[in-house]
Amino acid sequence: MLIFHLGPLATSLFSLLAILALVLSFVMLASHWLKNHVYAFAAESWTIAAISASIGYYGHYPELYIIAALTALFRGTFLPYLVLRLVKRLDIQREFTPLLKPSSSMIIGAALVIFSYEVSRQLGVALHLTDNIAVLALTCMFSLKLIGFLMMILRSEAISHILGLLVIENGIFLGSQILVPGMPALLELVIIFDLLTIVMAFGMLVRFLQTHAGTTSSRGLQKLVG
Amino acid sequence: MLGDIVLQCGQVLTVMFLAPLLHGFITTVEERVQRGKGPSIFQPYRDLWKLFNKSLLVPESATWVFFWAPVVAFTAMLIVPMLIPVLTNFPLPLSDMGDILGGGLILTLGSFFILLAGLDTGQPFGGLGSSRAVMLGILAEPTLILVFVGITFLDHSMLPFVANHLLAKNPVAYWSPAHIFLILAFFILLTVETDRLPIHSTIPYEIYMIDEARILEYSGPLLALLKWASWMKQFIFYTIFLNVFLFPWGLSTTGSFPSVLLALLIILAKYGVIGLLMVGVDTMQSRLRFYRYQEPLALSFLFAVLAIVADQL
Repeated sequence: MLIFHLGPLATSLFSLLAILALVLSFVMLASHWLKNHVYAFAAESWTIAAISASIGYYGHYPELYIIAALTALFRGTFLPYLVLRLVKRLDIQREFTPLLKPSSSMIIGAALVIFSYEVSRQLGVALHLTDNIAVLALTCMFSLKLIGFLMMILRSEAISHILGLLVIENGIFLGSQILVPGMPALLELVIIFDLLTIVMAFGMLVRFLQTHAGTTSSRGLQKLVG
Repeated sequence: MLGDIVLQCGQVLTVMFLAPLLHGFITTVEERVQRGKGPSIFQPYRDLWKLFNKSLLVPESATWVFFWAPVVAFTAMLIVPMLIPVLTNFPLPLSDMGDILGGGLILTLGSFFILLAGLDTGQPFGGLGSSRAVMLGILAEPTLILVFVGITFLDHSMLPFVANHLLAKNPVAYWSPAHIFLILAFFILLTVETDRLPIHSTIPYEIYMIDEARILEYSGPLLALLKWASWMKQFIFYTIFLNVFLFPWGLSTTGSFPSVLLALLIILAKYGVIGLLMVGVDTMQSRLRFYRYQEPLALSFLFAVLAIVADQL
């Protein structure tokens, strides 16, 4: 894990970028406007692309530059574009049915961050991780995943579910970039195209729901129709 | 030694006499930005002079609390500048009287007495203002304490001077995520504690009032003391924000007369910049509904928690 060591300034940079990604996920958690969610997701993807590029720079992995460019292109530009198009088609501007108020969900999110920090600290002790940046990456990874789950639990619109899924995916990608930077480039390509397929399939599903059931909220879809 | 005592008095006097100027500056610039003409930036001094020369009216239902609250609030604001770096970046004779948490407690004591005064006369708006202020306090105080805890984790000391030294000399600490999150958390608290939008309204209508509603019954010299205390509180929060968190440079390091003068000039410049930032906040933000007050404060709380988590790494 994390086969190269970093100077203090690089460590600060990495922590800053990783935590920035975490903060952006909180923007998604706390805002009700679907557009803001998509923009925050795009910004988060660009942050992760920046992490990839700087790991490529500091750890001398030239193939990571390509990965960074692809991340920015697909995750940061193309996926948000697709989701925005979906939002426009469906004509939903905001999530009307959250279970909790934004402030309460932020507090729950903060608790989840503390929980993931504790988990990653224990993991760090168990795995003898000497670098703090590894523990930080683990914390961010777990927190992003948990926040993604939280978003999916608290909201019922199908679009929010896609975004929650994408946040979880971003978390895994962020962790893998920092923890195992030498991952084969092919694998990363597969992940990126996987995501595209997921979003497209979801898009079709959502539009199917819209025409056949009249709603895309999972709370409106509880009755069985034969 | 004598020089140090003079400097200590100088810190208190700086806060006392520059606080109205800061308030006047912000009010004027805000008016100018919003296409108005605005009063002179020295208007708060004239207001104080006018109020001190007026006669004092005390409501019949008032008790001793009504008289003592402004005095306690004003005195509390005179004590806090001794504990924090206003002019010098080294501790002065009485600076170890209390740490950063002690300063916070004294600030809260002042607000607490104004709260009691609001309830004291039994006037409806006073009670309204007090209850709103308490609700805000319940939301804001834990975050303030968390921010102080965060800075304590960062510099391993409860003294604001240590934080100032560490941040001024160590760029790695200054640019660490923990510190940046503390700045963000404290900035939100700053808007709440210095009566800015998105929570406090700038329009003096009774329905929107929080802090002003508590002092509606006051007049004359006591009102002057209260107003002056609230301006000093604003100045003190700016001081903590700038000299401990955001901009730890530009203070006098030797305590010699020219360096103190230079520090004063730098204070004018940097407080002005933060004032302009606040004008921007006031102009661009709209006031939040009462039931959405917790949103900016939850954000601030979140930043403080993130800072503490980042500190541990």
